[in-house]
Amino acid sequence: MRQESWSWRRGLLVVACLAMVAVACGGDDDDSSGGDTGGSGDDAEPLVIAVGTEPSTLDVQAVNDRNARVFTSNVFESMLGRDDEAEIVPVLAESYESVDDSHWQFQLRDDVTFHNGEPFDAAAAAFSINRIIDPAYETQRTSYIEGIVGAEAVDEYTVEIETDGPNATLPIQMTQIQMVPPEAGAQPDFGENPVGTGPYEFVEWQRGTKISARAYADYWGEAPEIGEFSVDVIPDAQTALSALQAGEVDLVLDILPEQRDLAPESVSVPATEFSYIAFNTHIPELEDPRVRVAMNLAIDKELIAETIYGGEAAPQPGQMLTEDMLGYNADLEAFPYDPDEARDLLADAGYPDGFAITLNVPIGRYSKLEEAAEVVAGQLAEVGIEAELNQLEWNTFREDGRIPGTEAGAMDLKFAWNSNEWFDASRIISHITCDGESSKYCNPEVDDLMAEAGATLDQDARDELYQEVWAILDENPHAIYMLQQNLIYGLSDRLEWTPRLDDEYLVSEMAFG
Amino acid sequence: MLGRLRDGAVVLLLVLAAVFVLSAIVGDPAGVMAPTDASEEEIARIAHQLGTDRPLLTQAGDYFGGVVTGDLGESTWQNRPALDVIADALPATIRLTLAGIAVAALLGVTFGVLAGARPGSRLDRWANVVATVGLSVPTFWLGLLLIVVFAVQLRLVPTSGDTEWKSLILPAATVGFEHGGRIFQLVRSAVAEEVSKPYVLVARSRGLSHRGVVGRHVLRNSGMLILTTVGWEYVRLWGGAVFAVEVVFAWPGIGQTIITATDRQDFPVVQAGVIVAGAFVVLANLAVDVLYRVVDRRVQVA
Repeated sequence: MRQESWSWRRGLLVVACLAMVAVACGGDDDDSSGGDTGGSGDDAEPLVIAVGTEPSTLDVQAVNDRNARVFTSNVFESMLGRDDEAEIVPVLAESYESVDDSHWQFQLRDDVTFHNGEPFDAAAAAFSINRIIDPAYETQRTSYIEGIVGAEAVDEYTVEIETDGPNATLPIQMTQIQMVPPEAGAQPDFGENPVGTGPYEFVEWQRGTKISARAYADYWGEAPEIGEFSVDVIPDAQTALSALQAGEVDLVLDILPEQRDLAPESVSVPATEFSYIAFNTHIPELEDPRVRVAMNLAIDKELIAETIYGGEAAPQPGQMLTEDMLGYNADLEAFPYDPDEARDLLADAGYPDGFAITLNVPIGRYSKLEEAAEVVAGQLAEVGIEAELNQLEWNTFREDGRIPGTEAGAMDLKFAWNSNEWFDASRIISHITCDGESSKYCNPEVDDLMAEAGATLDQDARDELYQEVWAILDENPHAIYMLQQNLIYGLSDRLEWTPRLDDEYLVSEMAFG
Repeated sequence: MLGRLRDGAVVLLLVLAAVFVLSAIVGDPAGVMAPTDASEEEIARIAHQLGTDRPLLTQAGDYFGGVVTGDLGESTWQNRPALDVIADALPATIRLTLAGIAVAALLGVTFGVLAGARPGSRLDRWANVVATVGLSVPTFWLGLLLIVVFAVQLRLVPTSGDTEWKSLILPAATVGFEHGGRIFQLVRSAVAEEVSKPYVLVARSRGLSHRGVVGRHVLRNSGMLILTTVGWEYVRLWGGAVFAVEVVFAWPGIGQTIITATDRQDFPVVQAGVIVAGAFVVLANLAVDVLYRVVDRRVQVA
């Protein structure tokens, strides 16, 4: 017995000492405490980007989710691209023009090869376009192939694309239809062995773990600074942050505002992501535009941006567009926070005592949306509108959200984010037209203007028409226009990178510093 | 022996049936797989491709027939056989569970015997506290804490993933601490009970040291229980640790695969995963039974 208690006390002492040593040695991550990962001396180590979910396939034309794009945008290229001001610039095509109302011609570069040696030429471009628009080919990029009828090679480096009537957004679509090699692209395992023209070529895919790439020696453009990179799968957000802190990962997409201080470095960029609460204008309470304007006035968007998003968001300028997007109306302003005016308008519209309504929110899909919804419900209550929160699992939310406004079960209010990587006001057409797939709003004036804009190739004319649309929406809103959200990234000490405006992650624009 | 095998097969069949019924109830994967702007026709087309628009009985027939031939369907997420998806992830989970149960057994049995041999001592009381903590803390919380302390602060091991041999340490420790707690409790009470039996007093009075009695007699008599406890905890591992630990540590095993497949409503893979895990549980149970018989020849299997 004596022996036992002696050894027990000693053990406790040893453990306590170890714990103190551990805490003392831990300290600040920023001390280069000689870990064997991270630190500015290890430039030879590949760049690592962490994603939460593994892509389902590396066939770039099939999927549109960001987890896949993080890898495929470095391996594949399209005929056109965007510069750091989101302007469309030539990439694999040197120039293009619209030949007539339904034909466009693209002149291609003649010095490009695919990673497997196949040449990039008009035949390959035509193959790529026809591959993705083929009805038998399953793709998530449906909005990028709308209105494209076919493509054919006119000569070795000229490809002609036929559209279904005038299509002013064809150049935008050509920034998102990637070029794939005719031979490799016809193989059934292309999704596991991607081959493109980009600055990096695919090396290996360890399922569930990582996808790696290295610089392509015969790239037609400027050789990238970083020689190798990998996209690692780390499902848990906290673990990804820990990996960033430990120097094992260089870039984590989507960290929360309160985690910014924990990351070695962090940077945020106003994204083309707009949060909104869509109205079902077919229910009696929301028929009157005054009610909908009132609801826009009742929400203090600044407050939500400051308190819930820690400043990483800003109220939308009265439209779901930013200054550099086509159709932006500079005369519009964000709805001010004016609950008194809101109450007056509600009374005018016949609801002096407000009404009850349901606010639908998806769980775990958009950053802090659940918290924002609670603030919204509270503020609506201040003007007499009792909003009941209905939290739904994402898949259910998406399905129920598409029930047309005139049918039973349609959502009164639907809170979500919408992204506009097209930088073009036509992007939300399906939300604001009478028969739009995601629309519960019907205004013949808006329909006419959208149709007119869709029928012309004159960009200036389109710009004016879309501005008119938003001016109308300002008085007769289709949603509560909430915030333009920021995307926040966690960076390692050694990574030097400025985020792009179009939510693309090009390792060729990154460097170690 | 045959009786055990037959029982195991029945359990497996029940698992299969449960998985199928649940998948059928939960909903149509076609609506989820289709892009956000897809039309009704597109969704119907995808449903047809998946075969989810056929009558349930037909689907059930295909399902059970497929299990027999080893065809568990095609992963809608990875576009390759669902069984391959699970088979690729299986070795990682096996390593994790084996390492985890090894740590759990080491901690649980060692301390369980030490504490049980001296019930009421300070060691016993402290060990009880630690074990209860281990049982109570959420797995993912413990895992994240270990990562922050040992990987981020101390840089002793990688934070996550299965990149080197050291990667196994924290996940196994997390599992070990959780399940070691239960093993400790059961072993401790079994040993404490043995130690209170008259033969111990008799042996001590004959001059055997306490340690000798415990080592030679008590352990042998409690051995059966220790074995079954460890075996049972190993089985339980497959239902719990496998998921939480794999997600937290980005461990590329079955748990993480099933969760991702669930998120993407890839039923074939979820089914295949549950079937394989179920098969493992049945096997583990069988193995424990066999070991039990080998260790104690007095036990007859009906």
